[in-house]
Amino acid sequence: MTGSDGQGDASSPADRVLAVPCEGDDLLALFALDTGDRLGEVPVGSHPVHATTCRGRTVVATMGERAVTAVDPSGGVTRIETGVLGPSHFAAANGELYVSCSAGDALAVVDPEALTLVDRVAVGAEPHEIAVAPGGGRLYSGSRREGVVDVVDTESHERIGAIDAGPDARVQGVAISPNGDRGYAVDQRGARVVAFETGGDAEGDAASAGPVRVEAAVGADPYDLVATGDRVFVPGRGDGIVHEFDRDLEPIAVHEGFSRPVDVFEAAGERWVLDAGAARLRSLDGAVVETPAPGLVATPVDDGRLAVSHHDDDRVSLVDVESGTVWSADSPAYPFGSVVV
Amino acid sequence: MTREPPNDDESATRDAENATRRGLLRAAAGATVAGAASTAGCLGVTTPADVAAQNEVSGNVGHFVGPSWLADNREDAVVLDARDAERFREERVYRARRVPFDAITSRESTDDGDVPDTDAIADAFGEIGVSPDDDVLVYGASVGSRVTRVAFALAAVGHEGSIRVLNGGLSAWNGRLGTGSRDRISPTDYEPDPASSAWVTREWLADRVGTFNGDGPGLVDVRVPEAYLAAAGSDALNDDHDRHGHLPGAVDVHWVGNVAGRRMTDPGRLVRLYEVEAELDRSGTVVVYGDDNVDPTSTWVTLKAIGFEDVRLYDGGFGEWANVEGDRGRYPVETATNAVVPTEGSVGGDDGGGDFSCTG
Repeated sequence: MTGSDGQGDASSPADRVLAVPCEGDDLLALFALDTGDRLGEVPVGSHPVHATTCRGRTVVATMGERAVTAVDPSGGVTRIETGVLGPSHFAAANGELYVSCSAGDALAVVDPEALTLVDRVAVGAEPHEIAVAPGGGRLYSGSRREGVVDVVDTESHERIGAIDAGPDARVQGVAISPNGDRGYAVDQRGARVVAFETGGDAEGDAASAGPVRVEAAVGADPYDLVATGDRVFVPGRGDGIVHEFDRDLEPIAVHEGFSRPVDVFEAAGERWVLDAGAARLRSLDGAVVETPAPGLVATPVDDGRLAVSHHDDDRVSLVDVESGTVWSADSPAYPFGSVVV
Repeated sequence: MTREPPNDDESATRDAENATRRGLLRAAAGATVAGAASTAGCLGVTTPADVAAQNEVSGNVGHFVGPSWLADNREDAVVLDARDAERFREERVYRARRVPFDAITSRESTDDGDVPDTDAIADAFGEIGVSPDDDVLVYGASVGSRVTRVAFALAAVGHEGSIRVLNGGLSAWNGRLGTGSRDRISPTDYEPDPASSAWVTREWLADRVGTFNGDGPGLVDVRVPEAYLAAAGSDALNDDHDRHGHLPGAVDVHWVGNVAGRRMTDPGRLVRLYEVEAELDRSGTVVVYGDDNVDPTSTWVTLKAIGFEDVRLYDGGFGEWANVEGDRGRYPVETATNAVVPTEGSVGGDDGGGDFSCTG
C-alpha cells in the first residue's frame, strides 16, 4: 500500500501535499500538489522507499533501518523500532499498520496512533508486498526467499497458513481481488503468476486458504501486478509486455511495445502503463502521454492524474493523462513511492 | 650401425651434466647432511625450542600463555587436555587430565531458553579432580574452540582459580610428556557458583532485538559467512535448522580468524579485527553466538584476552533461535544483510574429523 487511508486527508485539494521518500538522500521531500512548489524536506532515516498515511500520521518505510519514521500533524518526527531490517511495504488492517521487514522474516505491526511497535508476525523470509483482504481480517505476505504467500490473521497477529507458489519461486507482487475470494502472486524468478483461493470471506476459516489453483506464464522479470474485479495485469519488465488475464488467469491479451513496464493504473476510464524505460505513459489502447522522464513509481492522485517519481532522474511530476504534464520539479536523489497528504 | 666417438667438447659437456645430476642425487640421498647442521636455519629446520619460543605470549594479553609459563608453574597448575581420548592416550603433557568434553557442553532448558548446565559441568570437573580454586591451564592440539569451551565452562561454574590457555597447543610444549592410560585422580566435590554474567539467554536477546550493534549490546555471529548469509544451496546451512540467516543486527566474524595455525592470531591484528573492522565497543557488552556452544567460545576467550570487559556467550546458539517453538515474530532472523568482516585465520593441529571445533 502506497497511499492514504483517507483519514488524514481533510484539507482542501489546494492544500494537499505530495510527500515523496527520496532514498538517495534519506529525505521525505514535500511538494505542493497543485503547483509542484517545493515545501521542504524531512530527514527520515536511511533509504526511505514508501510512504503511507494512517490516523493522521505520515509513515515512511526506511529500508536501511530497523525502524519506520512517522510524522505527526504537529510536525513531530518519531522513529518506531521494528527490530528487523528493511521496512519496505505498508498495509493497514484493523486500525494497525503492517510493514514488511524485507531483510528478515517478519512483519512489524505498528500502532499508528501511539507510534509504537505492537507486535511482530513471523512470515517467510524476505517478505515484500503485502495485501489485505476486504474486511481486514486477513493479510497476505509474499516471501521472496521461501516462495510462499503467508496468510496472517490480523486479529491474533498469527500466521495461520502459507500458500506454496511453486519450487524456487521468488514471490514479489501480491494482490487480492476486490471481492476477496481470489489471491494472486507474481513469481519473479519463474516469470509466472499464480492464483489461489483465499478461503472465502475474511472472517471465515483461515486455514482453508487453498493451494495454487492455476498459474500462467508472463513476461520476463515481472514484479508487480494489479487485480481488478475481472482482470489481472502483470507487466513483464524484461520483455516490455503486459499480460492481461481474466480472474482465472485465462489469457485475454498480451500488450506489447513497452520498454520496461512496471505498473498499471486506471485513470480517466483507461488503463495506463508506467514505463521505467520510456518517458511516457501509454494506455493499453495505445494512447500516449509524454512525461519529463521515465517513471519507476506512480501514485494515483484523483481521476486522471498521477504523481510520477522519476527515480533515476531525481524528478517528480504530476501528470494528467488527458492534458499531459501539469508540473515537474527537481527532487532529492532517487524519489520513490509517494503519498498524497 | 656404427656410432662416431664424441669429440672433446661434447665429452666435457656430458661430464658436466653428469656431475650436476650426481650432485642432485647425492643431495636428495642426504650425502650433504654433514654440512646441514650449520645451515639448519637456512633450510627451515625448526627445533622444539624454536616452537616453544614462537608460542610465547607477550604484552597485555589475558588468558593465553606460552609454554614457559607452564614450565615455570608445572607443579602448581592443574593441566587439562581438551582433546579426544585417542589423542590423549597417544601423547599428552605429563600428568594432564582429559576433560570429558560432552559433559562440559551440557545445557539445561529454562523458561528463558537454554543455559549452561552448571551442575553437570561442575560434576565433570569434579570427576577429574579439579577444585574451584585450582589454577588451571587448558591445552589441545591448537587453540581451537574445543580448548576455549573448556575455559568458558570453568568460567560458567564460577571457577575461582586462574584459567589459562596454552598458546600453540601440545606441539608448543617441549617438556615432559605422558602416554597411555590416564593417571588415577581422586575426584573432588566441585560445588558450582554459576556465573550467569558469562552467558545470555534467548529471552535476553529477544528483549533487545533491534538494538544490537546500535544502541544496545554488540552481537557477533562466529559462523562462516555462508551460514550467516543463508547462502542458498550452501553446505554451511545446517539441515536441522528451520530457518537460516542470523540474529538481527549481528556482525559476522568467523571464529577461525582468532587462530593462526596452532596459536592465537597476533593480538594487534585481533584488536583491529574486532574494534576497527567489526566496530565493537570494548567497554560495552558483547554477545557471541554460533550454531552450537563450542565455536563461539573461541571469540568469547579471544575478546576477553584482548581486553573486552563484558563478553557473553549465547549458549543456546542459532540452533535454538532458529528452531524456537511458538511466536517466532519475537525471534526474527535476517537474511538480506551483509555485515561480514573477512578473516584470514586457520586452525592447525591434528584433526581427522575435519571439524575445526573438534581439533582442540
